[in-house]
Order: sequence, then C-alpha cells, then structure tokens
Amino acid sequence: MTGFVLVNMFCSFLGTIAFSVLFNVPRRFYLCCGLTGMAGWLCYLASENIASVSTSTFLGTMLVVLMSRMLAVWMKCPITVFLVPGIFPLIPGAGVYYTVYNLVQGNLAEAAGRGIEALKIAFAIVLGIVFIVTIPKQWFRVSYWRRRLRGASENSDL
Amino acid sequence: MTEKESMKEDAEQINVKRIKIADSDLREAVRERTDGEDPIAVPEDGRNPGGKKADMREVLDLAMNMGRVLLKNGAEIFRVEETIEHVCRRFDIADVESFVMSNGIFMTARDEEEEVYAKVKHIPISGFHLGIVTEVNDLSREISAGNVSLAEAKERLRRIEAMPPKRGRFRVFAAGIGSGCFCYLLQANLWESMMAVVIGCLLYVFVIFGENHRLSKIIINIVGGGFITIMALLALQLPWPFPVRMDKLIIGSILPLVPGLAFVNSIRDIANSDFISGIVRIVDALLVFVYIAIGVGFVLGCFNKLTGGVML
Repeated sequence: MTGFVLVNMFCSFLGTIAFSVLFNVPRRFYLCCGLTGMAGWLCYLASENIASVSTSTFLGTMLVVLMSRMLAVWMKCPITVFLVPGIFPLIPGAGVYYTVYNLVQGNLAEAAGRGIEALKIAFAIVLGIVFIVTIPKQWFRVSYWRRRLRGASENSDL
Repeated sequence: MTEKESMKEDAEQINVKRIKIADSDLREAVRERTDGEDPIAVPEDGRNPGGKKADMREVLDLAMNMGRVLLKNGAEIFRVEETIEHVCRRFDIADVESFVMSNGIFMTARDEEEEVYAKVKHIPISGFHLGIVTEVNDLSREISAGNVSLAEAKERLRRIEAMPPKRGRFRVFAAGIGSGCFCYLLQANLWESMMAVVIGCLLYVFVIFGENHRLSKIIINIVGGGFITIMALLALQLPWPFPVRMDKLIIGSILPLVPGLAFVNSIRDIANSDFISGIVRIVDALLVFVYIAIGVGFVLGCFNKLTGGVML
C-alpha cells in the first residue's frame, strides 16, 4: 500500500513536470508544478475509494485550482503556469479512447456509456475550475486577511 | 605561450571593466530619465506641438503589442485586458477602450479633444509558450509599479518575444516521460509504461517536425493519433515475454496531443463571462479531441477489416 502510494506520487510528480516542459514553463516553477499535480492526483486517488470517478475528479480539480491560485499569488505569476500541467493527470483521455474503440467495434451502447462517462468527468473538471476561480482575488492575499482581522478587532473595541 | 595567456587575461579584464562602466552609465541614464517627471511627458509643449500625441501613440502601441504577445502565447482574455489597462494608466492615458477576443484586439483611445488612436489587430491562434506569458506579466507588473520607462519596456518586450521555445530534444524527452508516467498512473504495468515512453518520444518527434513545416493542426492531430495506434499495434505483434495491453499503451501516449491549455483557458474565459472567446476556444479544444479520435478510429477500423473482425 505504501509502495503503491509512493510510486503514484513519484509518477504524478514527474509526469506533471514533463508536461510543464512541453508548455515551456520557466524552470523556476517546475517544483511547484509537480507538487500541484501530485496533490491533485493523490486527492483523486483518496476519494476514488469512497466516491464515484467524476466526484473524485471534481475534488482533485478543486485542490489543483486552489493550490495553483495560492502559488500564483505567492510567486507572482499567471495561474495558468500551475493550473494546466496540474490538471493533466485528471483529463479523461481513457474515456475518449474507449468511446472511439467501441464505436469502431460497433458496440454503440458501450460507446455511449463510455462517452457520457468521459463527458461527466470533463464537466466535473469544469465545475471544479469554476468554483475556485470565482473566489474573489483578494481572499488569496495575506494582507487582506490581516487588514480584515485588524479592522474587526478595532470595531469590536469601539 | 605564457605571455600570450597573460595578455589574453589582461584583455579580458579590460573588457569586463568596460562592460561594467557601460552598465553603470546606462543605469545612471535610466535613473536620470525616470527620476524626473513622467518619462513620456514633453517639457516644451510650445516647441513640440505634436509631441504629446506621438508619445501617446507610442504608449498605446506598446500596450497593443503586449496584448498581442500575451494573447498569442496562450493568456486569458481578462489578463490581456488588464495588462492594456495597467500600461495605459501608468503612462497617464485615461480614456482607453479595448475589446479583446480570442483572435483579435480592438483598441481606441482619445485625449481631451479628439480620437488619437484606433487599431484592430488580428492574432491567429497558434502555439503556446507559457514562459513568454510569465515574462510579459512580470514586465506589466513592473511597468505599473513605475520602475520601467517606455523605451526600456519596448526593448524588453522585443527581447521577450524573441524567446525561443525549449529545445526540441528536451520536449521530445519530456513528452516520452509524461506519457510513460501517466500510463503507469492509469494502472498499466512497468513494461507498458516503458513502451509508452518510446511511443510518446516518437510521437513528439513527428509533432515537432509538423510544427517546423507549418502543418495544420488538423493534420498533426489526425496523423498523430493514427501513428500512436499503428505503433501500439506493431508493439502488440512482437513476441514479448510479458502481457501487453493495447488500450493502456494508446491512452498513455495520446496525452501529449491532448489540448489541455486550450481547454483550461476556455473554461476560465467562460467563468469570467468572456463567452465569445470561451466558446471559440472550447470548440478548438473539442475539435482537437475529435481529430485524435478520427486518427485512432481510422487505424483501428482498418486493422479490424484486415484481420477479419478479430479485435484485440
């Protein structure tokens, strides 16, 4: 079990970094890209045992987007840098392949099932991104919360 | 021999000194230029009546160019709009309207009396380079902090735009590693992942060849999908001492073709209510999926016919 998790961590880390190379991400962001992808995949794996594939994809995507937004604010760079490679492990490439395979084979019912499964996963990714992206920008800044907290305490004093 | 070497060293030292002097001079000059008033403000208005307007044009050209570089290399719509706005605000141009779509920028500006600037720029959808997006983002951040003058910003933008993509062999290697790793994540065994590495590398050799020869994206994706399937079928025919499943091979090595950036960008555009651009980009991404499926399906179908309906 530990070995399984370790190998999965390593593979998702390395694979995400490989895809960030393909998108010409600057070298100083590789480590964070890898960590984002790894966290998303681990979240997916952990929730796969108790939830459906699309729900766990949704949770994994949420974690990826949340992490990339925090990293983007911290490292002062566009969020795309972390988001695109990080989401790659969750993309339903397998669903698309099985749909085509069954279409060619003539198993139309199976093809439709696989296709709708892939669509569900794609929509889970869409929802995951939209949920986190619509959080206001300043919530990710430390200064905002510091000011809020200070403001709140001053108000209570008054 | 030793004399020569020492002479060489001396020459090098002199060179280094010269460069240092030149560098410090440049910095002085920049400081002088930016320390005074606004770098674009023209001091003698009477002597140079058209100067203000010309300067405005230059600022707006810079903003337009930054937007173009961003959009071309895969930035979101709102980032382009924000960058244009930041640059214009930094150089005191208040009345600017920009309208950004996935493949074009429209921009007009006016001063107190009249329209000074109107430009439409068509930007075809092309390859992505997130490094350039990051650099332009940094540049815009520095401009709006007021650390960069107009001439300097232009020069830096020119240099950023000339940034080459990562070297071909790195990208081929990365595609292979990515394919192999994700193949393993999708419950393939070690040997299948190794084969996915090889197929992914070969696939990306083809993709880079296609990019260099400006093949259309349709051709690259259809042929790429077909190529992967052919390689997987060939790998299946060889007498390996271990079981090999074709589906795992194909799923792993297909990933470098998947349009992840277009997909994510389209979702983010739609989430920001830039519906036109979002829909254009999501259609772009979905079509790439369809092209890959056509390539894979075509080869699988042919193989099916050749072997008389015996599928693997």
